[in-house]
Amino acid sequence: MTAKSMARRSDGWTRRNSIPAQAGIGLRFQHHQAVLDVRPDMAWLEVHTENYMGGGTPLAYLDSIRRDYPIALHGVGLSLGSAEALDVDHLERIRQVVERFDPGLVSEHLSWSVVNGVYIADLLPLPMTEEALDVVCRHVEQTQTYLRRGILIENPSSYLQYRHSTIPEWEFITAIAARTGCGILCDINNIYVSSCNHGWNASAYLAALPIEAIGEIHLAGHTVHQLENGFTLRIDDHGARVAADVWTLYEEALARFGPRPTLIEWDNNVPPLEVLLDEAAHAKALLQRTGTREHARAA
Amino acid sequence: MPALLELQRAVYRGLVAREDGDAARHIRGDGLAAAARLNIYRNTLFGSLTNALRLSYPAVHRLVGADYFEAAAQTFIESELPRSAYLDAYGAGFADFLVRLPSAASLPYLPDVARLEWAVSRALHAPDVEPLDLRRLADLAPVDQGHIRFVPNPSVRLIRSSYPADSIWHAVLAQDDAALAAIDFANAPRWLLVERLSTGVNVKRLTEPAWCYTTELCAGQTLQAAIDAVADVDASALLAEHLAAGRFIAFTIAKPAAAAQSSESAR
Repeated sequence: MTAKSMARRSDGWTRRNSIPAQAGIGLRFQHHQAVLDVRPDMAWLEVHTENYMGGGTPLAYLDSIRRDYPIALHGVGLSLGSAEALDVDHLERIRQVVERFDPGLVSEHLSWSVVNGVYIADLLPLPMTEEALDVVCRHVEQTQTYLRRGILIENPSSYLQYRHSTIPEWEFITAIAARTGCGILCDINNIYVSSCNHGWNASAYLAALPIEAIGEIHLAGHTVHQLENGFTLRIDDHGARVAADVWTLYEEALARFGPRPTLIEWDNNVPPLEVLLDEAAHAKALLQRTGTREHARAA
Repeated sequence: MPALLELQRAVYRGLVAREDGDAARHIRGDGLAAAARLNIYRNTLFGSLTNALRLSYPAVHRLVGADYFEAAAQTFIESELPRSAYLDAYGAGFADFLVRLPSAASLPYLPDVARLEWAVSRALHAPDVEPLDLRRLADLAPVDQGHIRFVPNPSVRLIRSSYPADSIWHAVLAQDDAALAAIDFANAPRWLLVERLSTGVNVKRLTEPAWCYTTELCAGQTLQAAIDAVADVDASALLAEHLAAGRFIAFTIAKPAAAAQSSESAR
């Protein structure tokens, strides 16, 4: 880590991090009014950065909600892994959302979506090569400098691997954190989905991540597809409750990392707010158990 | 080993143009063919963008039905991908695409409904702005008044249709079959102003002269030039209405050429 990124981390990111190591939920448009009406007992909320660009009603809702809840911003479109230059117009739109809502955490994905100046609307996997590592690190540095704050990078779920990849994903994301000073958004469901799809060891993946870099945890549901040729494929569709195996892996993560801000994500077939709160309550119970254990260990 | 840019261009060709070969060579099989793996990403790509179009064009979606819309969206997406992940700004060319779509010719008003929906969508997401402080205008010397150039509120859009696009749009979104059946599709051109108010998006009918005058003002013509360009309009009453409704957010004074090269601005 360079002296510059150390300085950024100590006087920017850490101090402004108002997201507690508790459970939160991903806020979607369907629940704007319900959150204002019910004021659920929730430690924090996270939104997709791209949904609050421009102006109008969504931003007015988030202005109101922001008065009562810490907000984290989770971007899906900066395309840190693009070989071509970052879209500075998009970076500026992100900066404006950051300025308006003063989020506790800002995150993006370890993936790419932009080539030839067009946005391919998905989080596409990178080859795990030295060249790709250089590209991502350069773009993370550029983003952190432009936003004047540290960001978190989320490990993706993926459905393919490239023949020429030479670095395991857990080493790749660890290297980004070490070289740029950014944090890691550890998506437990994505680790589980990718590990099942590619035959990795999910526990070994977790064990390889640097504890001090973990700034946030994501949990979500996925679907299991039995293909005709007998192949089992898991797809990270954020359309169901968190799977039992993912909760187990989350407990392993908490045992290793200690309590971390933990988010329940749900994007397809979004259920009533109560279902999300129920999932978050389960995460909260596991977080509290970890906190108590840590406390006992310290005493 | 392909360079990153080369690989990303190959994946782009695979996903969008469906030429999988170059990308597939670099993807491991491991029990599932590279083409099948790429198809998972292609489904997400087309699904997300179709959904973005459906959100911007709900009346077009209802008018043509889900299956037709999905097929049309797929062809449109192949020809016009977003420039960024700010998807609220994606789909500007959909109305022009519908004009060129032979199978949509039986619904000649469809592109105009799409244009209205695009204006509504852009109004919904336009930046939040403060209306013009009218005291600024009161302070102007009378000699400057004709040289005012207004800056329109970014939510304001002016749409002209050969069809009763607003009536169709209203009836379709309200699923009001009786209202839809009662629309006289012929001989009902519309001159519309779309704007976002604090209560939501408003689609307002104007007369043709009022629409032309407002269009001149919003295009940055001076007040005097707009008045000169359009006959049969009560310009001062209309301007007062626009100002009261917050349709302008700033102005500049275009000095007569002899007086000054530059113009001053005020908000």
